[in-house]
Amino acid sequence: MLEKEVIQYRGFHNIYEDGECIGFQVCIRSTYYRGVWLSQIRPGRVVVDGEIFPWNTIIWVINGKEYTTDELAVSGKDFWRVTEPATLKVKKPGGLAQGYHDVSVRFGLSASYMPPSIDQFNDEMEQAVFNGGTYTREKMIIV
Amino acid sequence: MNNSIGAKRGVSIYSYSGLFGVTMQLEDCFKDIYDMGATGVEILANSHIDSYPELSDEFLEKWHYLCDKYKVEPAEYGHWLDTRLYKDRGLTLDESLEMLERDFRIANKLGFHVLRTKLGVIDDYLNPVENWREIIEAALPLAEKYDVIMCPEIHLPTILSDKMVSDYVEFIIKHNTRNFGLNIDMSVFQNRFDLQTEVPYPNQRHSNPDELIPLLPYVKCIHAKFNAMDDDFNEMTIPYPPVLEILKQNHWNGYLISEYEGANKDVPGYVSHELRKHHVMMKRILGY
Repeated sequence: MLEKEVIQYRGFHNIYEDGECIGFQVCIRSTYYRGVWLSQIRPGRVVVDGEIFPWNTIIWVINGKEYTTDELAVSGKDFWRVTEPATLKVKKPGGLAQGYHDVSVRFGLSASYMPPSIDQFNDEMEQAVFNGGTYTREKMIIV
Repeated sequence: MNNSIGAKRGVSIYSYSGLFGVTMQLEDCFKDIYDMGATGVEILANSHIDSYPELSDEFLEKWHYLCDKYKVEPAEYGHWLDTRLYKDRGLTLDESLEMLERDFRIANKLGFHVLRTKLGVIDDYLNPVENWREIIEAALPLAEKYDVIMCPEIHLPTILSDKMVSDYVEFIIKHNTRNFGLNIDMSVFQNRFDLQTEVPYPNQRHSNPDELIPLLPYVKCIHAKFNAMDDDFNEMTIPYPPVLEILKQNHWNGYLISEYEGANKDVPGYVSHELRKHHVMMKRILGY
């Protein structure tokens, strides 16, 4: 089962490679009522304690497979289900410090059945968009 | 299926979307539907099939188990033709047919005949993609093969007198097809706009119930949209009694599928309670 919030506590931890901490990951679920094809994802920025990680530096992991944002845009046959969180991998040498972090993730999901005038996403804008927006969860804990 | 009885009651799992996967699973929804004595279910393929876009043996088995156990039949299968699948180009005809056929095949295996086929739109009035005739015409033989009826949904801000609706009817008549029909969403009759609903409709245009009569031969399913029930079992934004009376008088025997689109969808138990009110209302008006 999922946590109600978009940003999940579960799955939030630093990532180690060959004993070295190279960054962290955070899991999100979609609160749009239907699953989407990956090319319908409009990836945005991740912000942790004010530090901005640009949208095109994030690796999305869906169904166990890693995608750059360029790869998401052309993956029209792979699917993100509503019941499965996506993992966002963020590069940050040394990772996040033990303790509390305020995390926000911005993304949108395109829907062909909505008017094109509404079906827009902009990483720079802070307001909500149809099927998307900026989601924040405060005091996330790195152990 | 007893076709003599008239309109039948069903529930769309969409109603539970604020809780699905969080505090409710598919079987919880079926239990609720059974409580209400409803006999049909609508699923959204892209939301409720846990192996989508594949149909796993496990899901197929679970589906048959649930339908048998809770005495519910597959009433409508919601799927999408995502014409704006890619940001930089529209879908080709071949890609569109591939997308449609995948859903036809799954729907057929799950026992659905009526499909809510959501087409991509091109403007604020929800007009479908310009080449919808070409796409649907090419899909008709496939729909026949899999024994399914594609039904675009007529939903506010579209109303029944809009050209889109007569275009669809013209298409059905011209092709003399049994594989294309209409899904009417009861939002088209909404005549009160001051209560909180999921989607606001600022221009307040809507259809009169009588406008449904000439369309009924083409209507394969009705989305019994509801936004707000009062405690005396009345829907406060949509005139249910005259619409359901029309269905009775015209011996329409398809499914009325409850689709909740009001407040508090993410409050555990809230939607289950509203659905029960909605079904008390429908039972009282239908008289069975």
